[in-house]
Amino acid sequence: MVSLNAVLLISFLLFSIGIAGVLIRRNALIILMCVELMLNAANLNFIAFARHNGSVAGQAFALLVMGFAAAEVAVGLALVVALYRRRDTVQVDDINLLKG
Amino acid sequence: MFITFALITLLGALGMLLQKNVVVAGLCMVAAFFGVAGLFVLLANPVAAALQIIVYTGAIMVLVLFVIMMLNSHEEEAGAARPVQRWLSLALIAVLAFAAVKLVLASAGLNALAVKGAEMPQAMTLQKVGTTLFADHLLGFEVAGLVLLAAMIGAVALTKRNL
Repeated sequence: MVSLNAVLLISFLLFSIGIAGVLIRRNALIILMCVELMLNAANLNFIAFARHNGSVAGQAFALLVMGFAAAEVAVGLALVVALYRRRDTVQVDDINLLKG
Repeated sequence: MFITFALITLLGALGMLLQKNVVVAGLCMVAAFFGVAGLFVLLANPVAAALQIIVYTGAIMVLVLFVIMMLNSHEEEAGAARPVQRWLSLALIAVLAFAAVKLVLASAGLNALAVKGAEMPQAMTLQKVGTTLFADHLLGFEVAGLVLLAAMIGAVALTKRNL
């Protein structure tokens, strides 16, 4: 039996790594992957609480989160591809047309 | 067993954070997703583990790796590290850690849940998930389907060459 607090700790660390990646990295693809990591951490929490609470609702919501993650990554990658066609780069520092 | 999967997850995520090469970072991400799938199995939830493998490593990471190879932009990230963002992320994580630890320690309900969970040996089945999804959360399910359709059309429209 896995203790709830240990899973919450792992999930928190995953979320932290995701935040750090989004803030530190400059490659748009890596930033997208870090957002996926944060969604995964949330999923881990949903599953852990579903297990310990004995309800199936957490599992159902984790399923929906997976669907939204797939939709998000599809649109995000399409944006990256469109950006690469137009500006020939995927580094977010080079995309500063709207910068004041 | 738990320690093993937790280590696979965290090392994969850290590898993705620190790795300069985008392809290697993507493969580290696959390792992290596998680790999370293992944690799902340990939480007596084989349904979520199977979905994790199929959706994340099977669909999402293949899509990401495909785009990485297609764009052929494996160049190193230029310039020095971003000091402001680095400190900002560390500060944000510290605040989150403080709040999370405080919340966990203060919550009596959480400890009750942990005790309650130890008395439930039965695993999650696909039948239970389907019943709950279609009986209690039908609206969410339909919205997810609509969002997926919109994302599909949006992705095709965005990548069309002569927009």
